[in-house]
Amino acid sequence: MHNAHPILPFSFLTLCYGIVGVLVVTYIGLIAVVMSSAVLTVEFSQSVKNDVAAVAVLERQYLTIVAHITNTNYTALGYAKPLKKEFVRAESVTALR
Amino acid sequence: MRAQFRSRIRLVLAFVFFVALLILVRLYFIQIVYGQEYSRKADRQYASSGGGLFDRGALYFTRKDGTLISAATLSTGFLVAINPQILVNPEAAYAALQTVVPDFMSREAFLAAAEKKGQVYIEVAHRLSDADGQTLTAKNIPGVQVFRERWRQYPGGTLAAQSVGIVSYGSGDTLAGRTGLEKFYEGTLERSGNSLYKNFFAELFSNVSNLVVAAKDAREGDIVMTIEPEVQTRLQEDLIKVTQKYSSKESGGIIMDPATGAIIAIANYPSYDANELQNVDPSVLGNPLVEHMHEFGSIMKPLTMTAGLDAGVITPTTTYNDTGCITVNTARICNWDLKARGVIEVRQIIEQSLNVGAAWVATELGQDTFRDYFTKLFGTKTGIDLPHEGRALLGNLMKPQQIGYDTAAYGQGIAVTPVQMVRALGAIANGGMMVTPHLVSAVRLNSGITRSVEWSQPTSVFSATAAHDTSVMMTAVVDEKLQNGAAKIPTMSVAAKTGTAQLTNGQGGYYTDRFFHSFVGFFPSYNPRFIILLYTNDPQGVTYASDTLSPSFLDLVHFLIDYYAVPPDRGIPAQTDSASTTPV
Repeated sequence: MHNAHPILPFSFLTLCYGIVGVLVVTYIGLIAVVMSSAVLTVEFSQSVKNDVAAVAVLERQYLTIVAHITNTNYTALGYAKPLKKEFVRAESVTALR
Repeated sequence: MRAQFRSRIRLVLAFVFFVALLILVRLYFIQIVYGQEYSRKADRQYASSGGGLFDRGALYFTRKDGTLISAATLSTGFLVAINPQILVNPEAAYAALQTVVPDFMSREAFLAAAEKKGQVYIEVAHRLSDADGQTLTAKNIPGVQVFRERWRQYPGGTLAAQSVGIVSYGSGDTLAGRTGLEKFYEGTLERSGNSLYKNFFAELFSNVSNLVVAAKDAREGDIVMTIEPEVQTRLQEDLIKVTQKYSSKESGGIIMDPATGAIIAIANYPSYDANELQNVDPSVLGNPLVEHMHEFGSIMKPLTMTAGLDAGVITPTTTYNDTGCITVNTARICNWDLKARGVIEVRQIIEQSLNVGAAWVATELGQDTFRDYFTKLFGTKTGIDLPHEGRALLGNLMKPQQIGYDTAAYGQGIAVTPVQMVRALGAIANGGMMVTPHLVSAVRLNSGITRSVEWSQPTSVFSATAAHDTSVMMTAVVDEKLQNGAAKIPTMSVAAKTGTAQLTNGQGGYYTDRFFHSFVGFFPSYNPRFIILLYTNDPQGVTYASDTLSPSFLDLVHFLIDYYAVPPDRGIPAQTDSASTTPV
């Protein structure tokens, strides 16, 4: 009569427990990663939106200044229109032409 | 032994499957069945949460150098709400709120809200700054909750407000675009769901396809407009000046690239500030430039002339006998000054704005040909990307009476929208090709791709020769007639035509002392970069458009030449001379 020695040094049940344990740990790890990712995404998204809002404030200032410049009566401020304009042919600004 | 081992394994597997099933069922109920409820609950518990907030794509102006400037964007801040069931000391809470946000609400109104013990959530202050929101959160007042808030912001205020449009609740409880581009591009600007709450399990249960192909990423994005903010500002300022100077009912204008149909500026006055809608007259929320029809008067004559030239019934040197007045179907048609010119060339019809001459060209064309041309020009909507576009009123051209055709030839008896008018006149500027006016050049998709918006191909309505011949006549208007020739720019050819139409009295007739003034022009005359259409409705104390709109038109022409550095097209020696001067 032969002794039936198992190929593995531990029982199949132990193997299953091990696999289940690894899966549980992996699952918990995945949840942690997903949660962290969600938090970072929320914070990043909010940060982007805050920056967009800050840019909008600057854009509003720019458009207000444009309107102010357009509405300014330069004659009333003492500026005079030039008597003539001089058109000059565009000169090449590079050495390649 | 083996059987016992198998049964144990099966037991373990069954247990694992059972637990997995429980988790799946639990996830299904949490994320699908009660997902919205949990989402709202989370919003209320977490003040700095980004979820559940209003989100929407942006609209951008495009500066001449391609820089994008926000026309509509989002602002973020905080809102304050109270829970009357928890708020035990309203007086103290009000005092604490007052220290951070003075005048946020009257004391009486706050105490009345705090008395509503049947409710758990009443908003008492909106649009607090980040600093104020953080300060209030730190105070941790029982019964007072602070939430992150986001709202639509229009950095330009009144700038192109009627074209950009507004976002509001309308009759439902959903914020959506209600007018202008906000409405027209709702599908691109709306955000169908907050992506921050998207998770694998919910997507798995609800819509597997979205995990593989993000369909909305290919649809949602930001809108890039063709409107140039500085040109728009200038146009609006000129319209305000005209309206106020002549106490007009309204004034409007469009500046367009005649070759592409890209609208660089479009405005009407009175308008509104899209950030301050509380006291706005609802009648100004639409866009009169695409919705309202007008009888434009003599700026229709260049179209009649080009149709006559294109059909071959006249040439620029054809002569006719101008008698000053004619009678058609018992109605009398006269020149503006009632004077006869005798035998003159047809170009004088444009240069001197002769109604009798325009009627003569219409008669030469014949009713069918005239109707064909005007149906091609005005018979369909322009296809502009704004909602509620109106249809031209061309009823007189469907009747056999010649008077309807004769009056249409000089812009009375038919009514079109300003956008239809600028498109039709743009065909003269664009070598006879009619384009589709539009306000959007591209969509910046959430996927990161910028997709150009393709517009329909130009359609040919006139020959290039006919369009050129009319441009020559219109250029003579500026060089010789406008301000008695003082408007001429020696280094730039400018083509233009004024129009003065009598206003209808609502009883089938016309007022003799109330007018609709219009002005159209383009430059450089023979390779135009811009076409400008202006109008002012019912100006007081003035009869002719040459008086009301010439200064605005010339101001815009000079501004555009300087701003875009449009090179001179005449008055510059062709050879090596280095400079030329021109009076300003």
